[in-house]
Amino acid sequence: MIFNFNKSHIKRGFLQISFAWLFALVVGAFILLLAIFVSIKMINTEQTTEDAATAKDIGVLLNPLETGFENGKKTLLDLPSETRIYSYCEEGDFGNQKLKVSQKSLGKWTDTGVEISIQNRYVFSESPSEGRQFYILSLPFEFPFKVADLIILIPKNKNYCFVNPSEDFFKIFSDLKLENVFNASSIGSCPENSEKFCFNSQCTNGTIIHESSKYIEKEKNLHYETDSLMYAAIFSDPDLYECQVKRLMARAEGLAELYEKKSSFIAQRGCHSNINFANFIAKLNSAQNDPSLIHLLSQDVENIKNANERGACPLW
Amino acid sequence: MVINLLEKGFQKRTARAMKIKNKKSQMKIQQTAFMLLALTLLFALVGLFFLGFKLTSVKNLASDLDEKNAKLLVSKLANSPEFSCGESFGNAKGACIDEDKVMMLKELPEYNDFWSVADIKIRKIYPKLQTLQLNQEVKCTRTNYPSCNIIELKGASVTGNYESNFVSLCRKEPQGQSFYNKCEIAELLVSYVK
Repeated sequence: MIFNFNKSHIKRGFLQISFAWLFALVVGAFILLLAIFVSIKMINTEQTTEDAATAKDIGVLLNPLETGFENGKKTLLDLPSETRIYSYCEEGDFGNQKLKVSQKSLGKWTDTGVEISIQNRYVFSESPSEGRQFYILSLPFEFPFKVADLIILIPKNKNYCFVNPSEDFFKIFSDLKLENVFNASSIGSCPENSEKFCFNSQCTNGTIIHESSKYIEKEKNLHYETDSLMYAAIFSDPDLYECQVKRLMARAEGLAELYEKKSSFIAQRGCHSNINFANFIAKLNSAQNDPSLIHLLSQDVENIKNANERGACPLW
Repeated sequence: MVINLLEKGFQKRTARAMKIKNKKSQMKIQQTAFMLLALTLLFALVGLFFLGFKLTSVKNLASDLDEKNAKLLVSKLANSPEFSCGESFGNAKGACIDEDKVMMLKELPEYNDFWSVADIKIRKIYPKLQTLQLNQEVKCTRTNYPSCNIIELKGASVTGNYESNFVSLCRKEPQGQSFYNKCEIAELLVSYVK
């Protein structure tokens, strides 16, 4: 019996792992897993922070693009890695410009839900716009007073080709020296893989710009007034364009109300401008619901512009 | 009998050995529990320290971006349509603020957060108002305008850091039956919270 007991005791000892070892293994594995989990979380947080900071930085860098009395400005945005810039638009009061950035890291696009919001900027672009370098054009939108600067985001690695554009139309691209915008005599002479645009005529493989009727045929007909809005429509996603036009109409309405107040304020000192904004404000309000109504405003814009120039005390 | 005695003796010894072993094991478990506690505390402390450090650096980054925003905004804010003179004082002027327009802008609450900064102020610098004492500040209202030297867009005083830029501040001033353009030197201040 004694013999048997000792034998079984020796046998168990062969397979026995001491408590200290078991504990070390379990806790070690747990710590290792925890460390891996925390590291992954931290890398994700770091990427989110970097994406949010880049988006905010882009928003901040749009400030110097406010035009004075020049017709347009261009700047090159050079980012450290391949980047997708998502431009969203939110309606309501003056609305909001939202920017989200996703960068390529280890061959994969980061997925961040962080958007930055800017109330006084209007970015027109494809969504997303992808590349490492981007041209940023800033064009003033006057309706009839300056309403805002339209920011147009163009990826440098994407080519755009205009077939038989007028000299006036293409002047801005030559003046601003955009290397990826081409002027071609026929659609066949456009660079390969370029996005093609034709004027007033049918072209099989391109977007048609109806200059006389002032609209661009994309998935939707994008109506415009003024040249700056036409360029914005060319380079923009249709839904984004329509939302930004609504926001621009809201800001124009706000400015019309501001000028109306200024008009009555300086009139108390005997300085009269004699501009009736009521009808214009009502039409701007309608255009906020339906951006295609923008063309109904052209006559009012012209009348108000003339009245301001003729007045003893111009308002703008 | 002898075998029984031997067996009993052996069982006693074994029980004593087991008791000692149990005590040792209890000690070991206690040691392990203390070590586990210490280890958890250590990790928690390191984690807290790291989290604090990360939060501070994110806060600093946000603050730096706000500062950069204010710096860049103040340099171009005068060209913004809500402020700019446009051509109402003759030819188009750069860095020129329409004082009459800004006085009205002050009364529109929808513009309160439009530029995403804590506050915007305009302080007249030159010429000094003769009715004012040195460094005296008089906020502009409809009743005292234009005999005042501070236009506060948000109305309430905001404490924070300011970035500034010099601008010309123009308005229409009556002279007999006509009007002339009166332009003064002013400082445009944009504040951000640090």
